[in-house]
Amino acid sequence: MATARIGVDVGGTFTDFVLHDPSRDLVHTGKLLTTPADPSEAIIEGTQRVLREAGLTPAELHSMVHGTTLVTNTVIERTGAKVGLLTTAGFRDSLEIGREIRYDLYDLFLEAPPSLVPRYLRREIPGRLDAEGNELLALDEAAVAREAKALVEGEGVEALAIGFLHSYRDKRHEARAGEIIRSLYPDLPLTLSAEVAPEIREFERTSTACANAYVQPRMQRYLDKLERDLARIGFEGRLYVMLSGGGICAVREAKAFPIRLIESGPAAGAMAAAFLSKLAGLDRVVSYDMGGTTAKMCLVEDGAPDHKFDFEAGRVRRFVKGSGLPLKVSVVDMIEIGAGGGSIARVEPGSGLMKVGPRSAGAVPGPVCYGRGGTEPCVTDADLMLGRLDPAYFLGGEMALDPDRVRRAFAEGVAAKLNVSADTAALGVQRIVDETMAAATRMHLAEKGRDPRDYALIAFGGAGPVHAWNLARLLKINRVVVPLGAGVASALGFLVAPPATDMVRSLVGRLERLDWARVNALFAEMAEEGRTLLEESGADPATIVLTPTADMRHVGQGFEIPVPLPGLALGEADVPAIREAFFAAYRLRFGRVVEDQPIEALSWRLACAAPGQDIRIGRGRAEAGGAPTPRATRPVVFEGHGPLPAPVYDRYALRPGMEFIGPALVEERESTCVIGPATRVAVDKHLNLVLELA
Amino acid sequence: MTADADGGFDPITLEILWSRLISIADEAAAALLRTAFSTIVRESNDFATVLMDAHGDSISENTGGIASFSCILPRTTKHFLQKFPAETWRPGDCVITNDPWLATGHLPDITAVTPIFHKGKLVGFAGSIAHSPDVGGALWSADCREMFEEGIRIPPVRLLREGVRSEPVMEMFLANVRLPKQVTGDLEAQITANEVCAARVAEFLEDAGLADLSGLGRALHGRADRAMRQAIAAVPDGVYRAAIEADGFDEAVTRIACAVSVRGDEMLIDFDGTSRQIDRGINCVWNYTHAYSVYPVKCALDPFTPRNEGSYRAIQVVAPEGSILNPCFPAPVSARQLTGHLLAGAIYKALEGVLPEQVIAECGGAPTMRALFSGVDRNGDRFSQILFASGGMGAAPHRDGLPTTAFPTNAGAGSIEAFESVAPLIVWKKQLRPDSGGAGRFRGGLGQEAEIEVRSPAPLRLSLLSDRRDHPAQGICGGASGAPAEIVMSDGTRPHPKSRTMINPGTRLVMRYAGGGGYGPPTERDAAALAADLRDGYVTKAG
Repeated sequence: MATARIGVDVGGTFTDFVLHDPSRDLVHTGKLLTTPADPSEAIIEGTQRVLREAGLTPAELHSMVHGTTLVTNTVIERTGAKVGLLTTAGFRDSLEIGREIRYDLYDLFLEAPPSLVPRYLRREIPGRLDAEGNELLALDEAAVAREAKALVEGEGVEALAIGFLHSYRDKRHEARAGEIIRSLYPDLPLTLSAEVAPEIREFERTSTACANAYVQPRMQRYLDKLERDLARIGFEGRLYVMLSGGGICAVREAKAFPIRLIESGPAAGAMAAAFLSKLAGLDRVVSYDMGGTTAKMCLVEDGAPDHKFDFEAGRVRRFVKGSGLPLKVSVVDMIEIGAGGGSIARVEPGSGLMKVGPRSAGAVPGPVCYGRGGTEPCVTDADLMLGRLDPAYFLGGEMALDPDRVRRAFAEGVAAKLNVSADTAALGVQRIVDETMAAATRMHLAEKGRDPRDYALIAFGGAGPVHAWNLARLLKINRVVVPLGAGVASALGFLVAPPATDMVRSLVGRLERLDWARVNALFAEMAEEGRTLLEESGADPATIVLTPTADMRHVGQGFEIPVPLPGLALGEADVPAIREAFFAAYRLRFGRVVEDQPIEALSWRLACAAPGQDIRIGRGRAEAGGAPTPRATRPVVFEGHGPLPAPVYDRYALRPGMEFIGPALVEERESTCVIGPATRVAVDKHLNLVLELA
Repeated sequence: MTADADGGFDPITLEILWSRLISIADEAAAALLRTAFSTIVRESNDFATVLMDAHGDSISENTGGIASFSCILPRTTKHFLQKFPAETWRPGDCVITNDPWLATGHLPDITAVTPIFHKGKLVGFAGSIAHSPDVGGALWSADCREMFEEGIRIPPVRLLREGVRSEPVMEMFLANVRLPKQVTGDLEAQITANEVCAARVAEFLEDAGLADLSGLGRALHGRADRAMRQAIAAVPDGVYRAAIEADGFDEAVTRIACAVSVRGDEMLIDFDGTSRQIDRGINCVWNYTHAYSVYPVKCALDPFTPRNEGSYRAIQVVAPEGSILNPCFPAPVSARQLTGHLLAGAIYKALEGVLPEQVIAECGGAPTMRALFSGVDRNGDRFSQILFASGGMGAAPHRDGLPTTAFPTNAGAGSIEAFESVAPLIVWKKQLRPDSGGAGRFRGGLGQEAEIEVRSPAPLRLSLLSDRRDHPAQGICGGASGAPAEIVMSDGTRPHPKSRTMINPGTRLVMRYAGGGGYGPPTERDAAALAADLRDGYVTKAG
């Protein structure tokens, strides 16, 4: 019986593979350059190679879980389809008017994110419902046919979206317009806002519908081709796609709602951290994934990453909130910080002070030390100067780094401008980048009413283990877990992700006046839809777990908080319990409650999930007590200490049960774990390094 | 830069500590924003959080929010220190006021300041300002004759003394407002924000090994001051003048005269020649005048250096006493933004000749146009809803103005679906307004048109706060002006633009928001840009 599973992550530069064969407890990884023109080329080649190396054939694969940046790149690069939009008469500009906010208070020349559908392709249809779903004006069906024809035949649009007012409440006008269009153009990709994001707020819902339509033709072609190519090499298993919320879904759902894949790759990292937190027995964790361009932080509690239900794509300024297109999709709630190994240090002309990032040298030219033409010192350069990286053992020795060039770049660049030594400037880069990450993490946790001191850090990504110890120190976190294979750890997420889907419906009302029969009908509808989707994904119906929540707030407030609900069949009798649940969630987040102010619900959500796969890592390695033997010692600069001699350990030689104390360096192929003074390190049975800071 | 000027802090440590203090102000802002009830705080960003040193000088301010407020809060704190000298403050105190002359220029904004103690010593103040859900009086109107009609005035009082709330103060305040619970909730949100700030600062000092904020504060003020001076020094010396006009109240047109003098690294902005104060609520108290003068200068000259007390030391602002920009107590001031928002346009107009690459044309959304609908719905519940929407932004030297975006304020807009779900109103249209952007090499941003039908069982009250009916946003450097604002009822009547009107069920109200001014001569408009404008209907052949 085929039991092996493979995860494939198509990134901008590399396509990563991770294979798990439970019959042998084998986890095997691989990497290939992405083939941008046709990503399935690298997928097929890499899959075959990884299978060959593991001694398996494609027919022995139970399934493939696929994550892709295709959706997000299509939005960022604006290479999607020509989309037409039908809106309620009077509202064709909602998409462009947006939230009317300047995302930068001081920039007079700021640019608004361009709409995915230009004005001349947005057409208005008479027909109107009110907020209760009553029809104020019948749908003008002739106008639907006429405008659709004008868009498809006159303008040549490749996909259509429909966004009518109050369709979250009652989708009959959208559904009828959809029928008319399908009867005219049965093969045209069509997105109804009430299907892709049945939530109140027309701008965000319409924006989501347009983005879905925008990426749909390309994703459909891509997934069709991938299925054919996989069949050609003899793959007979199931193909799953990773959703932004960290679940996996069948290809059909991915083709219908490709926008739900927008954060497919980053979600895998969070799922991996969630899995590792369970292995390590930690119920409160900050997942920290730092690569070449960004650092990503995510809160993981009780083995599950935090979720949110909106996201911003295609930002004009990548790290500035409000500069992108809002999407109502379920995503893992993570913050992305412009802090990576390639982040560039510079001196600001106004203040005369040093900043690090968010501009990144990327892979080309890369940091100065790569010797590929980079001249501006980066975080990786500082790491090298401070002794954190071994110039002769970068990427396992594949790439020799050039410390002299780095020293010159610091001395002649930022250090000269700041009138400090090159060493001070290098330590400054490290201090600033770590502080930037710490500040963003503190803020992210504070917004959720959490205190970092109550959490452990799980660090991965190429640069994560290099900075984790210092970051933990700044956050006053006293435990850090660094998994083996930090560079590919996030790919584990593909193997452990559960089949899952998140459903939502909006029905606005005060808690004491809600029409519970209607709420229950919405839950029944969502439950049926969710179960069907999961069963299509091969989930065992008996194992499906349904978790209802509501987005609630005090009447008069503008932010909703998610509130867990006692069940799917609710009534008057549940109101006190729901009110208490609201207060509990409110208190956790804001530290207080306002007792007498009425409470209202806006949207109702149902998280549907089947259990994910368990995998075992590191079994079969013999326990060994005592301290490992260092392969070298080199000086490492720590803030406040100057250079300290640090023993260097080979990660692959460590055995479960070994212990040592910092300062120390643990080197593995894709990363180096930097451990400062006054820190105890233990190797656990899964080969994680567990750092205990004093 | 010498270490001496930085008070012994090296530039890297300074950067780290500065960023950390900014993130403390941001954390306080997040606490305030998320727990506040006031829709104006939320939709209009009408709030600020500021961290100050023991003298009440600002050290860091929250990143979002209203830029003008952070400039005012330290002034208010210094008034507090006059009334309550430094040695009288205790941990757990909180002093509040809404006095327009001491604080933000009108009654609805509450300023709350909490002392920060570290190791038993007063080291600074955490302050916040938020637009209260209500302060009594004539809600939302520009037509009062004296400030006393506009609501309850709270002089600087200790709301909290060592953590204990002054019940007489609360009782007196709440007895004068329509929404006591929401008002209480928002005051608590402000106190929470201040406490978050105070706790984080104490933690920060511990981490940084500092006894207080004084040395660090001086170093940060110095950095911000030098950055601004450097930017001013790059402007050629001279006196640059402009005068602009706005509708004002009835026959009293508002005239803003402005002379910007640059000498070396200092700037003086003098509003001599500006209209006298009037007996209607559009007088702009000096604090607000100052804040809305220095903010546009910062945007144009030094947008990226973080702000603190040092940022504005090189700029002096003068407005004649008794003028509409420096009115005397007890002038009515409720809608002071209708005047204050005009200042950016006047200053940029003055600088167009000398800094053509750094300024933008007048904005259709300056001042903001607001409509408040209040009455009783079918359930018998009172409702009160503001339609948030903006006119177009002025065109820039290399870019068309943004459509439907406010400057110098930064008010956002909510969802029409959410609006209709809480008020008996139907919005039949909310759409860009073609041909409303001023022509130019770069076009002014488009305004918008909203059409709203009243569906309440009984007549409701409409309060309007608007301008630009007779005075559209002017172009700059040869650009044309944008379309003026218009407010029309379905019976053809035009309600008073700054007053309160009852409207009957079934009436439809059309509000047309002004467009932004253009930049540069319209004859220099790029042909492809014009063709794209025509294709998308931003510009019509008729227009």
